[in-house]
Amino acid sequence: MNPWIVILLVILLALMGAPLFTIIGAIAVYGFSSVGTDSSAVIIELYRISDSAPLVAIPLFTFAGYLLAESKSPKRLVGLAEALVGWLPGGIAFVVLTVCAFFTAFTGASGVTIVALGGLLLPMLVDQKYPERFSLGLITASGSIGLLFPPSLPIIIYGMIAAVSIDQLFVAGSMPGLLLVGIIGAYSVRVGMSANVSRVPFSWLRLWLAVRAAAWEIPLPIIVVGGIYGGWFTATEAAAITAFYVFVVEVFLYRDLKLFSDVPRVMKESMVLVGAILAILGVAFGLTNYLIDQEVPQRLFELVKEHIESPLTFLLILNVFLIIVGMMMDIFSAIIVVVPLILPIAREFNVDPVHLGIIFLTNLEIGYLTPPVGLNLFLSSLRFGKPVFSIVRSVLPFIVLELIALAVITYYPDLSLWLVRALGTQ
Amino acid sequence: MKFLLKIDRALAAAEGAALILLLSVMVAMAFVQVLLRNVLNEGIIWADILLRHLVLWIGIVGAAMAASQERHITIDALARFLSVRLRLAALAVAQLFAAGVCVVLVNAAVTFVSNDLAFGSTIYAEIPAWTSEIIIPVGFSLLTFHFLVRAIENFLKSVRGEAA
Repeated sequence: MNPWIVILLVILLALMGAPLFTIIGAIAVYGFSSVGTDSSAVIIELYRISDSAPLVAIPLFTFAGYLLAESKSPKRLVGLAEALVGWLPGGIAFVVLTVCAFFTAFTGASGVTIVALGGLLLPMLVDQKYPERFSLGLITASGSIGLLFPPSLPIIIYGMIAAVSIDQLFVAGSMPGLLLVGIIGAYSVRVGMSANVSRVPFSWLRLWLAVRAAAWEIPLPIIVVGGIYGGWFTATEAAAITAFYVFVVEVFLYRDLKLFSDVPRVMKESMVLVGAILAILGVAFGLTNYLIDQEVPQRLFELVKEHIESPLTFLLILNVFLIIVGMMMDIFSAIIVVVPLILPIAREFNVDPVHLGIIFLTNLEIGYLTPPVGLNLFLSSLRFGKPVFSIVRSVLPFIVLELIALAVITYYPDLSLWLVRALGTQ
Repeated sequence: MKFLLKIDRALAAAEGAALILLLSVMVAMAFVQVLLRNVLNEGIIWADILLRHLVLWIGIVGAAMAASQERHITIDALARFLSVRLRLAALAVAQLFAAGVCVVLVNAAVTFVSNDLAFGSTIYAEIPAWTSEIIIPVGFSLLTFHFLVRAIENFLKSVRGEAA
């Protein structure tokens, strides 16, 4: 069969709803057989899943994230954040931002944030007289805001695919992540002031009660962030501790989840997501192997070099390209499919692979919000029962803000890299 | 069809139970390993290997479950613009294709496992590699079955004009 017909057919099937892993798998099998390699090569590559220590972190963090989202911990953390910053102008908006960032980091931007927290956060904003359009936009945009913070799953996957230290990536993501939160936070304060929203008065008693309620959850970011940044343990070890800790805390200390009914359900629920991600990862190993064998990245680079000379132009085009990818694909597939092709090219243009990872994730984060197929738009529309069009309108200012942050992140590599050097993370 | 759905549900229940078991072992094992390594300065040598193979098993069994719940990651951009009946019909074709790809992968996996069996590869000490690898052909067979059942189901729904 003519390769172009195969490609067209496969794209059509993907658009009809065939799982992405079967599409990638089909291309890999077709590719290998067209050069006379046995299709078992795909399985040899897939079997590499059993040979990677960092991958152990994925089921563990996902399980912990789902346990947290299913427990009452969103409520406790919102209470804590409210007591801490609710008195600021735009304080409640900041609460939404930080709590969403926390949950997105823990649940891997799988859409869990909007689904699990939306119902809690939207009424809170509206009660404090925030404009409804702003509130919808903020929650939709916040659904992917935590992507750059540990223990974000997309970062782990990028590290796996690009063969870059995951610990370094986590450290590198912190400043750009704070930049994003800062820019959107500043905008929220402005909206809050001009809409004259009510504030929650500060009280020590309130703070004390909130701290006591969330006492067992407060150590979590410290274990993950402190552990990884301090170099005490690797991302995989942090995952092992987090999963065990969250399990004990939510089931035995808070008793939010029942051991024999809730926990098995959450386990299955979270491992379905892990299965979906690993299926793509497994077959993508095969496809990547084939593409490298055929020197596709090399040829792609020669093609790119004919038209682009400066690294700056390369980065600009990369940004546009990645936003389009982010519009079409979910973040996991986008990383798994695109990184192997782009990485060698980026290297030739002297882009640091760690910096490239941060650019990648920021771009894909914006892709979550861009029509026609940004995932967060649809999740929000479903969750809040609003037409997709009004959600799109509500996120426009946030897209502009994130694009500004993206420009800074892309053209100022030190924002990502200085902390890595300063801490000497390996 | 009723019979197929019954088997489908039974398999899904078994997969669910397997996932719970595998993940429980993983959470406990990973935590104990961190404790041993950081407190006693020596971990169990085979624990890391077991953990990595558990990832493979969880991934494949989870993927089978995702197939039965139609929760695999898709692009389905087209689907949003089609009527319900057309969308279900398109989905049925796509799932039939998915089942076909999984058959090819089962085949490839059987070759892979029998090669390793003939070669006598081991994972660790005397443990032969096939004991872990076997999940790949078994898992993709499960995926094939789930995709087929969903394809038939969606096709029937589309013909009868039922809402999804």
